[in-house]
Amino acid sequence: MKVPIIQCQKLSHVYSGKVALNGLNFELEAGEPIGLVGPNGAGKTTLLSILSGFLRPTSGAVRLFGHPPGAARLIGKVTALPQDARLDPNFSITEQLIFYARLQGFNKQQAVVETGRVLEAVALQIIGAEKPIALSHGMAKRVAIAQALIGKPALVLLDEPTAGLDPISVRMVRNIIAEQAAAMTFIISSHDLTELDRLCHKILLLENGVLQSEQLLGDAQYEDIRFITLQMETCPAMEVITKFQTLAGVTEVSNPQKNEFIVAYKPDLQPDMDLQLMQCVNANHWQYRQLSHGKTLEEKLFFRD
Amino acid sequence: MSSGFFYRLLLISQFELKRAFLTRKGLLSMGTFAVVWYFILLYPLRFAADVLVEGKGLIQEFSFFDFIGFNSLGQWPIPEFGVFWHFALLIFPLLSISLAADQTCSDRERGTLRFMVLRSSRDSLFFGRFLGAMLIQALLIGSTALTVLALVLYRDASLFSSASENLLAITVSVALAILPFTAMMAALSAVVKSVRQATVWAILIWTFLAGIISVLAYYLPVLAALKCLVPGYQLSDLAQLSEWRTLKLAYIPLLQSVILLAAGRWIMARQAL
Repeated sequence: MKVPIIQCQKLSHVYSGKVALNGLNFELEAGEPIGLVGPNGAGKTTLLSILSGFLRPTSGAVRLFGHPPGAARLIGKVTALPQDARLDPNFSITEQLIFYARLQGFNKQQAVVETGRVLEAVALQIIGAEKPIALSHGMAKRVAIAQALIGKPALVLLDEPTAGLDPISVRMVRNIIAEQAAAMTFIISSHDLTELDRLCHKILLLENGVLQSEQLLGDAQYEDIRFITLQMETCPAMEVITKFQTLAGVTEVSNPQKNEFIVAYKPDLQPDMDLQLMQCVNANHWQYRQLSHGKTLEEKLFFRD
Repeated sequence: MSSGFFYRLLLISQFELKRAFLTRKGLLSMGTFAVVWYFILLYPLRFAADVLVEGKGLIQEFSFFDFIGFNSLGQWPIPEFGVFWHFALLIFPLLSISLAADQTCSDRERGTLRFMVLRSSRDSLFFGRFLGAMLIQALLIGSTALTVLALVLYRDASLFSSASENLLAITVSVALAILPFTAMMAALSAVVKSVRQATVWAILIWTFLAGIISVLAYYLPVLAALKCLVPGYQLSDLAQLSEWRTLKLAYIPLLQSVILLAAGRWIMARQAL
């Protein structure tokens, strides 16, 4: 039986009369990255701040590896990328990372080696001698991720790791997380559902401080009804829906956004639905952009039945 | 791998020393202090000491020093240290309010403290920063005292042994005197958002708290005892003492520091970072 890495019971937090978290109850186990999503003000940063020990909950109980957040036993085991936190502008990146490694218990030599390792992991070995002010936003974010990787912690809490980054930096951050995910559990708070869809195995949806759902991703092969999301070039929507509905096995076709269609079907009646759809598109001389199995994370989370 | 409260406390205080003496910003502050101190040493301090040395027999009647509150100068066997003692009791508490104001507030506002509390307890952080601020000030006090020693030896090298003892007594006593000021700044820094706020609050507390307590004590005399909680409460009495007798009042800053540090620790433990 797996021991939960995080346990929250009736966790609540109130900021000057405004409820940020309202009686959260959940347990998370180690493994694949876990996503934390929700609209602005849903309580994501508050939850991560409590888990990181930056904030004391108003009520309820939290345990990480069986200890309260901020406990001495969690040093080196739990790290975080706090949202908008910046390094000290007076010291170089290397000096600060060595200092953090030493606080985690590394001796001077080990700390130097570990600093080199984490900077290499985020492909920033060459900027070690620079001060934080010399870094771009993307580089500063990657350095902040590097500090979270010091000492190979068991749990890493990332608050908006890709916020404000350009597409190349986003891909770089995604690759860093994917590469490290085998050795540690990531909890990633983000508004970027495409990123979370690619990285995470489980999603927690927070709304108004309440945990709305816990969704497991990637287990569609066991469902009675499956979905295909098809993004088309400009096309006659009503005609597309009508034609798709006539295909064997299709139970429902919806058009949630312009040129996007979600086809629900029974895999036992038509296991090769993707081929059927492609043939239908080809026969009608339509053009498509992308076909993907399953619903988008946005559909799963925010547009459930 | 090493760990533990004291290990982290020492690492954090060492890092503060590095900030003060090995960063550009720290070196600029130290350079400024050195220049200011050079002029204090060269003019008011040397001038006052020269007056005392030349007119030693007149010291009891020299009402100017009485007038400015330096009436214990004659009790110091080496006049330079007597003058330094009075200057130090004026300058270092003021300097402490400025030097120790940024123990945690800037780092908290920037979010840098979050990186640190992931790796150390809030207690290690709070006391480590306090220890760092105290060590920096103790080094400044010690080095200014050494410049006074150099001045004394330049005048009369045979005074080395008694001057060294004076130097030690002053360094220890001034460091003790600034202890509650540094503790007050540690507590204020844990609450406020900027160095400026910490400094303004410190000046308000220092300037008005004693006055407010006096007014309240007029109606309820028992409250007069609260005055002993104000940092610097003992400074005017302390200025009248000389050499190791200055430690007679050491219990006051120690007690004040314990209370202020306990309050600061309580705030730090509950503060959102």
